Amino acid sequence: MDNDVIIVEQLRKIFSGGGKRKSKPVEAVSGIDFRVKESEIFGLLGPNGAGKTTTMRILCTLITPTAGKVSVMGFDLSKNQTEIRNNIGYVSQKGGLELRSTGRENLIMQGRLYGMSASDAEKKADELLIKLDLNSISGRKAKTYSGGQRRLFDLATGIIHKPRILFLDEPTTGLDPGSRSHVWKEVKKLNSEGTTIILTTHYLEEADVLCGRVAIINLGKIVELDNPAQLKRKIIAGDIISLTFDDDKALVRAKDVLTKEIFVKELQAVNSTMHIYVDEGDRALPLVIQILNNSDLHIQTVSLSRPTLDDVFLKLTGRKLIDSEND
Amino acid sequence: MKEFFISTYIIFKEGIRILIRNPMWLFVGLFEPVVYLLLFMPFLKGVTSAPGFPAESATRFFVPGLIIMTAMFNSSYAGFGVLDLLESGFIERLRVTPVNRLSLALGFVLQSVTVLFIQSIIVCLVSLFFGFIPNFTGIIFLFMLVILMGTCLSSISYTAAFIFKDGGVLASVINFVILPLFLLSGTMLPLNFASKSIQIIAMLNPFTYAVNSSRLLSDGDIYNSQVLISFIVFIILCTLTLQWFIKVMKETVA
Repeated sequence: MDNDVIIVEQLRKIFSGGGKRKSKPVEAVSGIDFRVKESEIFGLLGPNGAGKTTTMRILCTLITPTAGKVSVMGFDLSKNQTEIRNNIGYVSQKGGLELRSTGRENLIMQGRLYGMSASDAEKKADELLIKLDLNSISGRKAKTYSGGQRRLFDLATGIIHKPRILFLDEPTTGLDPGSRSHVWKEVKKLNSEGTTIILTTHYLEEADVLCGRVAIINLGKIVELDNPAQLKRKIIAGDIISLTFDDDKALVRAKDVLTKEIFVKELQAVNSTMHIYVDEGDRALPLVIQILNNSDLHIQTVSLSRPTLDDVFLKLTGRKLIDSEND
Repeated sequence: MKEFFISTYIIFKEGIRILIRNPMWLFVGLFEPVVYLLLFMPFLKGVTSAPGFPAESATRFFVPGLIIMTAMFNSSYAGFGVLDLLESGFIERLRVTPVNRLSLALGFVLQSVTVLFIQSIIVCLVSLFFGFIPNFTGIIFLFMLVILMGTCLSSISYTAAFIFKDGGVLASVINFVILPLFLLSGTMLPLNFASKSIQIIAMLNPFTYAVNSSRLLSDGDIYNSQVLISFIVFIILCTLTLQWFIKVMKETVA
């Protein structure tokens, strides 16, 4: 446990109800515990409103928690906020570039705010611009950058002072696939140089590709925490057969028919789709089709898949991560 | 301590750099006082002979008030400058740095106060063409008072921007607060033209003291008790409003 750089114990955050309608207080984080090891990439995965950004903002000293204990790099969040700020970098969802200044000016200013001399900040900024391949556009005002370019500059401002821990809040949201993989590459490179990275995401692929461990958060609680491969193995052993039917009546009947079968480990119906969890999908699939045909049930679509983190999320919370985005 | 001054300067410099790249603020900020000088002051010439009018000329009465008015309106709209910084996440980025919170607040306030200081000098210079020749020592003290007012009002304006985060709401709130304070300060017309009840309410308005002091200082009456009261009131208000700004900045959830 010596190499835990972040320790979170029974963390809670309740936002008091405000606004014109004086809404009820909202418990955004409901007593979560986790530890982050040095040099790992740790992911907080969940839909919007799950509490992941609130958790990250607490760890970055932006929000005061309602209850619980937090230690970052051995510093107590309630007492040593300046020390914590000296050790962390933070890239928010919005980024934080001053859009009327150039990318280079943004970087130099950030370095200066962490106590670098003007010449050191300029030197460090220029090194980063070369490293992230941003040199050619660094003299342009930030408002002229594309989404991907802006995100890389955001990343650069977050690391100019060489933080021990880097917090990335939804680092690739809204980016095209090319820009996304560029950001992933840089995040991995940073991590390989020893920076501990904590990121929030609602992209399953991102968590799968980048994170050593993932905490799945739903409604302010951590529902599971492990490495992505282990999560998939632990939560869902085997394969998933997904079926859709002409109508909900057929779906209910199919569920009744298949529940009795020995090879079916579990059934789950979500949004007119039935997910059947089986050990060996390639053997079970013909049987499923035959059984349903014998019962005069017409299958509209059928698919066989290996479990993904979305399936893990579905299994744990009863809803699909992608669908819950639109809730 | 050195770090404190450096980081305040960095925040200040960033804001000034942005302003210099868009010098419209200088013209827009000066438009209103110049319009008042050109289009309103001539009206006052007709009332200088009215019983109870406190100054010998419209210029000596109106220009010191106009300097206070410039301070009131320009500083109280300073908050609009941080709305896009809140939206872009720039403020949040600053809040995660180890920079002292007072340093952050002062960096912003100094931007606004610098702009106000330049505008006040320009208003004085333009007023020279209208025959306004102030006492030199008095005008130095007046600028100091204007800086205190600017600190106080821009702190309130930034605080309101952090709370409401919406330009429409911010404009309504600022107008709701500033307009009565302005009308009750005696900038446009002497307060002794008003009813007794209005005069009593006006005595509770700190800007009434500022306007009176502005006129006294322009005439060189720097030892007048009204001037002392103004300085004390605005030093206290500066301390309180800056603390409020820092508190709200710390707690803001963008």
